[in-house]
Amino acid sequence: MRNKLKGISIVSIMTPVVIIAATMLTTSALIMTTGANPLNAYYYLLTGVFSNIIDTINRTIPIAFTAFAVALGLKAGLFNIGLESQFLMGALAGAATGAFITGVPAIVHVPLCLLVGMLSGMLYALPAAAMFVGKGANLLVLQLLFNSIGTLICTYFIAGPFAGENPSVAATPRIQATAQLPNLITGPNKLSISILFVMFTAFALWFYLNKTTSGYQLRTVGDNADAARYAGINVKKYHFGVLLVGGALAGLAGALDVTGNFYRMYGNYSPGYGFDGIPIAMLVNGNPLGMVIGAVIFGALRVGSVSMQTKAGVPVEIVKVIQGVLIMLISAQHFIRFLVGKYIKKGERNGKT
Amino acid sequence: MDIAIKMSGITMRFPGVLANDNIDFSVRRAEVHALVGENGAGKSTLMNILYGLYIPTAGEIEIWGQKKVFHSVPDAMRAGIGMVHQHFMLIPHLTIADNIVLGDEPCKGNRYLRAEAVKQIEAVCNKYDMHIDPTALVSSVSLGVRQRVEIVKALYRKAEIIILDEPTAVLTPQEIDDLGRVLQKLKAMGKTIIIITHKMREVMNFSDRVTVLRRGKIVDTVSTDETNADEITQMMVGRSVHLGGDRKAVGIGKSVLRVENLHYHNGRVQKIKDVSFDVNEGEVFGIAGIDNSGQKEISEAITGIIKADKGKIIFDGKNIAGWQTEKIRHAGIGFIPQDRQKSGLALGMSVRENMILGYQNLPEYKERGFLLKQEAIAKSAGDKIEQYDIRLSGPEAVAGTLSGGNQQKVVVAREIGHAMRMILADQPSRGVDIGAIELIHKALIDARNEGKAVLLISLELDEVMLLSDRIGVLHDGKLMGILDAKDATREQIGLMMAGGGVEHA
Repeated sequence: MRNKLKGISIVSIMTPVVIIAATMLTTSALIMTTGANPLNAYYYLLTGVFSNIIDTINRTIPIAFTAFAVALGLKAGLFNIGLESQFLMGALAGAATGAFITGVPAIVHVPLCLLVGMLSGMLYALPAAAMFVGKGANLLVLQLLFNSIGTLICTYFIAGPFAGENPSVAATPRIQATAQLPNLITGPNKLSISILFVMFTAFALWFYLNKTTSGYQLRTVGDNADAARYAGINVKKYHFGVLLVGGALAGLAGALDVTGNFYRMYGNYSPGYGFDGIPIAMLVNGNPLGMVIGAVIFGALRVGSVSMQTKAGVPVEIVKVIQGVLIMLISAQHFIRFLVGKYIKKGERNGKT
Repeated sequence: MDIAIKMSGITMRFPGVLANDNIDFSVRRAEVHALVGENGAGKSTLMNILYGLYIPTAGEIEIWGQKKVFHSVPDAMRAGIGMVHQHFMLIPHLTIADNIVLGDEPCKGNRYLRAEAVKQIEAVCNKYDMHIDPTALVSSVSLGVRQRVEIVKALYRKAEIIILDEPTAVLTPQEIDDLGRVLQKLKAMGKTIIIITHKMREVMNFSDRVTVLRRGKIVDTVSTDETNADEITQMMVGRSVHLGGDRKAVGIGKSVLRVENLHYHNGRVQKIKDVSFDVNEGEVFGIAGIDNSGQKEISEAITGIIKADKGKIIFDGKNIAGWQTEKIRHAGIGFIPQDRQKSGLALGMSVRENMILGYQNLPEYKERGFLLKQEAIAKSAGDKIEQYDIRLSGPEAVAGTLSGGNQQKVVVAREIGHAMRMILADQPSRGVDIGAIELIHKALIDARNEGKAVLLISLELDEVMLLSDRIGVLHDGKLMGILDAKDATREQIGLMMAGGGVEHA
């Protein structure tokens, strides 16, 4: 019995290790085709991360929030890909509230920005959610379309009504000092209190899913919607709620990013934070702590890739390859798990005889 | 005497499970050999080894006296073994001929000779006296015909030994008789047949010899005409089995549920046509009928999952038609749905969590209005697991890892445990083994003895007749009549199920 438990835990540990190793090998091969030395590239990737730890954490925050939103959807049986535009809406609304409302104290202004950002994300999630839940329209297609629309709406506002003081840069004006999130650390880089929001949300998510009756009902909806219906649970209500709360989380992430990190919204604001959450949430099966760790890794890849490009000459796009390979291998994780298990068993048998 | 198959010392070990334990199994040429045992006894494992799907941990296989090692299904096929799975492996959008030759097509160069395929299949059909139209689409034919297609598929591949896995699970009584005739014909033509089953009727009617497996071991191999159904059941379960529970004489009390003039339609189909009946305290009211006669709709209308078009559902004096499902459950109706995997369980969640599904908002499982009462939930689950003898590694076991019988026991334990007034059981023993059926019958009858009302819907006429006090017979959404179970005969009910012989008792 003890042996069996040990065998299982070795497989559980080895599976992610194999996935990461295989990703690095694939990426190395690709880096070599660009003429660079992979070891060199990885070295600069790591030094880039460790010399900019605070920057890494700042990148982690929006990724963690979108991962939470994706996880909530997955637990209810939905695949939420609409977060990218909901994040942008939150950032835009947060930036506008921060920049154009003046003369209020920080104690009011900061929460107001976050609240408006959250509501904007939620409101932007509403039409797709309503069409999906009410009329059974295809959620993936709806959200894909709303992502494109949302991105263009943001571009319009940044270039037009909300354009900043410098017409040559597509960006909103800098937000008022009263709208800026307080910082925990200011040097060498600033780290705002938004990291506390991540911690709190991770805990709240864990608590909700595991300790509350509503969280139980949500998980039932995700596991077997038909059985949930037979049990008298309103499946549509949960689907609708999950999409709206997902929008609120993405919107909050956008507002936090603006008020805590960049102090303004500019063109092409999101490097794809809304999509980063998907593989992370899937990789750890919605475990909140796991998602925070995953978000740190993805944040680190984004930061490290910049130094990899400048110092080793490997394009930052390699990060997308790394993410793509990761996603592919994660999709095949059961198969990898099976292979690892088989290999370990073989080793044990050989070891015994 | 020719020995077609000789499997000796077969052992198959899966992680944590010994599925086959040193099994010796042999089948004679041109016999119908029934392989019986409860779910999880190792029948399918043994046959999958014979069919090359699994490689045994230990043991040897001889076919026609020659030692064989099968590494894959094609190996087994080359040795003349064919298998008809319980869930047919056919492509609905292709014709029967295309399905049969798939993977082994008559070709000229790279060209598929469809006409040649049809001709060859017709020859096979004529030889074995089986009538199918090779040019028909698989999707257009009945399940009985599809099964015959699978058999022809095996014959086309020159199979001498045919394994049928639970061949009657999806067939109507008429089709089961047809299958019996096909098997006799194949036997007469010298084919060797193994049927995997747990239904006694088939074992007795179809087979020449029976091998009984229990918990991965062979119990015995006997000639069918030297044994009887009770003896085989006893070998399967390891003890004598008593179906039907222990009925106590309880006076039938007042009406708990009264369905009045219920109507329901789905699309253009009228599913329930003016159905009225009562279910009283201390009785089992059984509903008999062939599949899809409106049983599912009646149970879903009572439990509020669908809304009836017209009619009243009076429960303890209140009209509950239009109530939410949860309110109906809380009012005291337990509901065992037809399909446990589809509608009864969250298979990815633990047994502990499944034990409160549908009742999670009862005050006993909830604190401060929004939190799960973890200790109460764990205790309720632990008690029910013990009471219903549910075999699992612990309450945290994921429901999907349980055997069918144990999954059904989870649903039955949950619903009977929470039903204060009435239990609605829609095919409670569908696809579970005899041990579990015995327990489920006992639980239903015990509830009746306690004065609860039981509404039993079943496709197994034997079960309805065994358990019910009164029997309503459905035909095409209409209640043809209500009979007293004491006077009702199989023939009478059978006639009414087919839409004739309306009688009132």
